[in-house]
Amino acid sequence: MAHFLDTVVLSRIQFALTSSFHMLWPVLTTGMGIYLVLVEGVWLRTRNISYYHHARFWTQLYLLNFGIGVASGLPMEFQFGTNWAPFSEAVGDFFGSILGFEGSMAFMLEAGFLGIMVFGWNRVPGVIHYLSTIMVAFGANLSTFWILTANSWMQTPVGGELVNGKFVVKDYFAAIFNPAMLNSVAHMFLATLETSLFVVGGISAWYVLNRRHPEFFGKSLKIALAVAIVVAPLQIAVGHESALHLRENQPTKLAAMEAQWETLPAGEPAAYTLLALPDSEHEINPWSLEVPYGLGLILDLQPNLQKPVLGLKDFAPENRPPLIPLIYYSFRVMVGIGFFLAALMLVSTVQWLRGKLADDQITGQTWLMRAWLFAAPLGYIAVEAGWIVREVGRQPWTVYGLIRTSDAASHVPATDVLGSLSLFTAIYGILFVSALHFGRRILLHGPNLELPPPGLGSQSARTEMVPDRRPTEVSA
Amino acid sequence: MPQVWFVILALFLLLYVILDGFDLGVGILSLTASSEERRSILMTSLGNVWDANETWLVVMGGALFGAFPLAYATILTALYIPIFIMIFGFIFRAVAFEFREHSNRKLLWNTAFGVGSFLAALGQGFALGSIFKGIQVDAAGHFTGTQWDWLSWQTLLVALTLIQGYVLIGSTYLILKTEGSLQQTHYRTATLAAWTTLIGAGLVTVLTPVLYNQARERLLERPLVYIFALIPLLAILLIGLLLRSLRQKKEVEPFVWTVLLFVLSFMGLGLLIFPYIIPPSITIYQAAADPSALVFMLVFIGFLIPIMLFYEKQRKAPGF
Repeated sequence: MAHFLDTVVLSRIQFALTSSFHMLWPVLTTGMGIYLVLVEGVWLRTRNISYYHHARFWTQLYLLNFGIGVASGLPMEFQFGTNWAPFSEAVGDFFGSILGFEGSMAFMLEAGFLGIMVFGWNRVPGVIHYLSTIMVAFGANLSTFWILTANSWMQTPVGGELVNGKFVVKDYFAAIFNPAMLNSVAHMFLATLETSLFVVGGISAWYVLNRRHPEFFGKSLKIALAVAIVVAPLQIAVGHESALHLRENQPTKLAAMEAQWETLPAGEPAAYTLLALPDSEHEINPWSLEVPYGLGLILDLQPNLQKPVLGLKDFAPENRPPLIPLIYYSFRVMVGIGFFLAALMLVSTVQWLRGKLADDQITGQTWLMRAWLFAAPLGYIAVEAGWIVREVGRQPWTVYGLIRTSDAASHVPATDVLGSLSLFTAIYGILFVSALHFGRRILLHGPNLELPPPGLGSQSARTEMVPDRRPTEVSA
Repeated sequence: MPQVWFVILALFLLLYVILDGFDLGVGILSLTASSEERRSILMTSLGNVWDANETWLVVMGGALFGAFPLAYATILTALYIPIFIMIFGFIFRAVAFEFREHSNRKLLWNTAFGVGSFLAALGQGFALGSIFKGIQVDAAGHFTGTQWDWLSWQTLLVALTLIQGYVLIGSTYLILKTEGSLQQTHYRTATLAAWTTLIGAGLVTVLTPVLYNQARERLLERPLVYIFALIPLLAILLIGLLLRSLRQKKEVEPFVWTVLLFVLSFMGLGLLIFPYIIPPSITIYQAAADPSALVFMLVFIGFLIPIMLFYEKQRKAPGF
């Protein structure tokens, strides 16, 4: 029970809780931002009012997610100081600057233009509105860029060195373009987009299954599918790149992901343990299901390994990640979902080409629609599982190879952390349930297909200030 | 370089205090609103500005982290509890905006909005009070105090004064934005808040040099002593102008005078603290990041500042 009054453990739990909760919301707003840009672009080009209604409908979900994203994101920024003060002090020169960029460039853009995107339909010209939508999407993705840059630097810290416990930066651009950066940013960018596409598609499938506006939602599903055709396979390729990259830069993480205790030398065949029961105490997998030559084929596309894969036993126990089974299975969950979504995309594309997704056919595709509905939450699960692999796999380091997590935590009383952690748990619980409740309400309400397009009888909203009404379909 | 960043951070903080100040003030006022309809009007008057206003806090946090990592680490550790009071307040406030739109029980979320605003202001007030009081650190600048250092009658006084100040700027904002009986109500709350802020600020002004040696020495330093003598005089003048404009039922003037009052108090505070960033012992030079980091950040953020300010101005322009 002493664990529960250990500041480092509690701070880690708190950070894990707040970051994994926070992440749920920007994942959708970041990806859906691009979807909205797409839909509004088609509306402006074709003037087909259905696309205008799409933009309005999905914006409501966007806004709900944005609000919770901001609310849960604020603690993230401040926790570095409250709970991880030694870390902040040691790496502030670089890490702090990057967080500063995120706030001043990215969040500023997103929050600033969001007002126009949501309230501006009838107040600003269409081009300005479209520009705002683009800026909101751009801002959100710029956030991903900076946050993942900061995080990937923690995975592969280059561009300077630790001098008297302080990271002195020699080359900022080397630190920004650290070895993990491009891959991390790409992987997360695709993850947000893929999650959003399958959320939009899954919700659309739900409407189709319920025979509510099937032609309307068939359209949004097809837009999502069209983008997924590119995104789903690309994500698998980028994910594969990540594994290759880990072999070079974070061997302990790769070993933990594969529950690999012994080193596999180069030039020899290596099996892939598809499933296993890792036993950290005895440093073996007492049970495993192996695919012969699998690891060699995965990493080097040939049965024999080209470079060695280091095993966990090569590292002192205090330098190995904890919770090997968690990392091992989280990785498999993420990969499994990635392949499932790609397969769903393939099947759906085939059906689309066969004309089965046409307005008069789509309601007949019960099984396919059910699969899409089932897929709606999978992206989130994959993102969370991936994040566990990424962050738990980096342990016991906060900055890989440089700063240990146990040295990074603030010296605040454990009772304080226990207090804030309990409040977070309670409040986030309420927020999660409320978000589902209100999200459901938006969905049950459905799109407002009567909404007149901008410029028709809507000039009255311009002059008076209070009350400032939301889109009519929301306040109705 | 540290001085440049001190000024930039001060600018961010000032913008934040004014912009989110009226936001928080309106939130606190909503707790006293006489009807549900009025509460809703108060909230919707902020609907499209609160997130952008809050951005300045995010920007401030990031910039403090990057430019003065030691100060960021020490101050946030020392103020663990007030910072989390503020954060939990913000969480309630932010989600209340979204949830009330979709909820049938508006009262619940309107109250969450009001209570959240109050908590956020309270946390900030205690933090500010602690800065006045000073944060106990060792030679390396690490916090050596205890978890309850931030709580004392002096910090409570500062917190209450800040809340009054927010209520004042919130009231004058509402005078600007509403009409009819709602506006009349806020002429009254503004007058009341002007007096309570005056009393609070007066007490803080008098007590600070009496209680804290360092502040006293700073205040009596030449030539600063003339400036410090001038600030309270100007403040009294501004409050006089504010009260007169409230009596004359002017619409724009009260807000303008209040903003000037905030700017003035802020300058006084800045001069009092400079060059310290963790009063009373760590200066901005000790807490600053490496010069190369400061330059690097300035290159990236520096050119954005005029754009951000210009955009802020545009966003407030009529028609939006």
